Amino acid sequence: MIDMVVSILLGSLTAMVPIVLTSTGAVVSERAGVVNIGYEGILLMAALFGAMFAETSGNAWIGLLGGAFIGMLLGMLHGAITVYLKGDHIIPGIGVNILALGVVAFGIPAIWGTAGQHQVPTNFRIQPLINTQYGSLSPMIPITFAIVFITHWVLFNTPLGLRIRAVGENPEAADALGVNVERYRFLATVYGATLAGLGGAYLSVDWLGVVTKEISSGRGFIALANMVFSGWNPVRALIGGFIFGFFDNLSVWVRTNPAISQIIPWQFVAILPYIVTIIIVAGIIGKVRPPKWDGRPYKRE
Amino acid sequence: MEEVPIIDMKGIVKIYPDGTKALKGVDFSVKQGEIHGLLGENGAGKTTLMKILSGMLPPTEGKIYVKGREVQFKSPADALANGIGMVHQHFTLVEVFDALHNIILGMEGHGHFSKIDVDNARKKLQKLMDELNFQVPLDVPVENLPVGVQQRIEILKVLYRNVDVLILDEPTAVLTPIEVKELFDVLRTLKEQGKTIIFISHKLREVMEITDRVTVLRKGEVIGTVNTSEATPQLLARMMVGRDVVLRIQKPPKEPGEPILRVENLWVKGDRGEDAVKGLSFEVRAGEIFGIAGVEGNGQTELIEAITGLRKIEKGKIILNGKDITGRPPKELYNLGVAHIPEDRTHMGLILDMTVAENAVLGLHWREEFTGILNSIRWSNVKEHAKKLIEKFDIVAPGVDAPVKSLSGGNQQKLIVAREVSKNPELIVASQPTRGVDVASTEYIRNYLVKLRNENKAVLLVSADLDEVLQLSDRMAIMYEGQFVGIVKPEEVTEEQIGLMMGGIKDES
Repeated sequence: MIDMVVSILLGSLTAMVPIVLTSTGAVVSERAGVVNIGYEGILLMAALFGAMFAETSGNAWIGLLGGAFIGMLLGMLHGAITVYLKGDHIIPGIGVNILALGVVAFGIPAIWGTAGQHQVPTNFRIQPLINTQYGSLSPMIPITFAIVFITHWVLFNTPLGLRIRAVGENPEAADALGVNVERYRFLATVYGATLAGLGGAYLSVDWLGVVTKEISSGRGFIALANMVFSGWNPVRALIGGFIFGFFDNLSVWVRTNPAISQIIPWQFVAILPYIVTIIIVAGIIGKVRPPKWDGRPYKRE
Repeated sequence: MEEVPIIDMKGIVKIYPDGTKALKGVDFSVKQGEIHGLLGENGAGKTTLMKILSGMLPPTEGKIYVKGREVQFKSPADALANGIGMVHQHFTLVEVFDALHNIILGMEGHGHFSKIDVDNARKKLQKLMDELNFQVPLDVPVENLPVGVQQRIEILKVLYRNVDVLILDEPTAVLTPIEVKELFDVLRTLKEQGKTIIFISHKLREVMEITDRVTVLRKGEVIGTVNTSEATPQLLARMMVGRDVVLRIQKPPKEPGEPILRVENLWVKGDRGEDAVKGLSFEVRAGEIFGIAGVEGNGQTELIEAITGLRKIEKGKIILNGKDITGRPPKELYNLGVAHIPEDRTHMGLILDMTVAENAVLGLHWREEFTGILNSIRWSNVKEHAKKLIEKFDIVAPGVDAPVKSLSGGNQQKLIVAREVSKNPELIVASQPTRGVDVASTEYIRNYLVKLRNENKAVLLVSADLDEVLQLSDRMAIMYEGQFVGIVKPEEVTEEQIGLMMGGIKDES
């Protein structure tokens, strides 16, 4: 029994990383007033290029950083469109999501010459901190915790955080006091996308060790749901991410336990994360208040 | 030797992108340490002038000198750096932040990543508040605080940046009488401390009470600057209202008939939950134009919205043709014969991206003549109707399929009048019917309202344009802070009396 609990706990921690990283990024971006629904595409592309960077450099950590870099570039694109060109916040995200489908479908055979999926060799994957008989603990888990707590602290205790929140709530007020609205919005957008990129590379060079066309499996969207659930609060996004991670992991666990999957078809458990998302979001909507200028471009009159 | 004024604006011209000439070469100068009133009617250019001084708007032409040195402001932050700060009529506060964080935003201390020194900021603010002799709660989200307190936070926000010149735009508009008194105490304290204050207002009594000098603006020009001690409300009223060339309106005498609209003890709340209309009672009779004059923001909008079914009525009754219509929805009111020419044609009157034909039947589109199978719209009839309106009202439009936004302001407004009149109403509610409309269309619309009156319709006219109300009305009321200061006949009052009444003073003589 204890083995099972420890095993599920470890699995949940492992599964929560990409969701929590992306949610934390999304919280910062939206606190500054920039909506980005392209995280799904960022996860996907970062997973692909992260694996490529890891294998060409021979270092899994370079792979993770490379994924974050891809996220950063996509964040800069999104920031340029939404913040500086005052464009719509939704359309570029849709664009990135669709682009990612093509890039990954084309990228896997182009890079590795295999169709559909690519197995990342073990020596190019992040090595666990601890290996137990119940599972392993990736160094990305403590790193994720650290990122969440630092982000939370910066957001609520420093001038940078205050300005980020101000430009997302009332950019006019911030502007009148000499706060450069565009700069903080852009920085927050790039930060959000960079964290998603890190989460995407984690999928391929750490946790799953594989690149497929469906590797993100909606985690970018789940992360957005989790962001809403958290009330735009990084620490609460960590808790929410754990819940989502638990269900995500549960489906993997059922699938790999023939004894259980004979009773409950694993396909049923596999839909759990999505059902939980719907229930949580439906339950929370209207109860939390998004930043007031979330998703609205700001232009001085 | 003459001392150098702290603020000196020379030849300020402001032309908005849409061509509106808001300021026509204004000279404005303020002495160190005075409270300087800026008085004028709506649209006189007071706010525009001060937005230029506070860096919100760039002037089209003109120069600004601060303590004799020429400055150019690219943003409000530039003006703040030069010691000029403005408290806007609509507050710019981050609602979910507390007062402290609203105030320190943008100058929190050193370094982006260092912890904000809240205790130090609190000490500085406490000291500032002690000096000013007022307190605000620093830890409550400002959205939970009353407007008067929010205003003080705005004032603190500006003073925290060590400004010398504080601009207040209509600061008393949202305040209760007690809050006004408290605000004035604060302003006097600031003056004692050597601060210079520019006080924008249209309220004569307040200007007389608090200012040292007053500059009066009218239609983008300075009428004059006077010492308050040498001024009388009568003088200021005359300067503020003035009178310009009147348009020719033919208005034969007419005996009004039965009351069409009766309003009894009407109470309506404004957007902020304050009482905007306070127990109004009046009637509008058939064959009569009843005008409501007054500076905007004294409850006219709320009154009109209540009568046309767009705003909730707290108390009182509205009776149309003997039928109680209190709280009935707009569509029902239209069916009973109410037509509405709304004050904001681009937002309420028309849908700019839709065509002339579509706009011509808005609110009529469900009528039998315009609908076909399964309630689908019969476009042939709609277009026919639009063509008739264009012809009858002399509307200049590229065609019935052109989007309404391609029409000039005057023609847009004529289209609204045409549409509303085609409903064949008993009562026409016209709010600012000629605002931003060219002279020819203005004359047409005004004459048309008189024509409706001659045809025995009842017309309720609300306008910030005093001339319009004076010319058209058979009877007129002057509205001030949700009440009528008086109901008079235009030909029986002087402009001075009306100016005083618009400033809330009833002349008993």
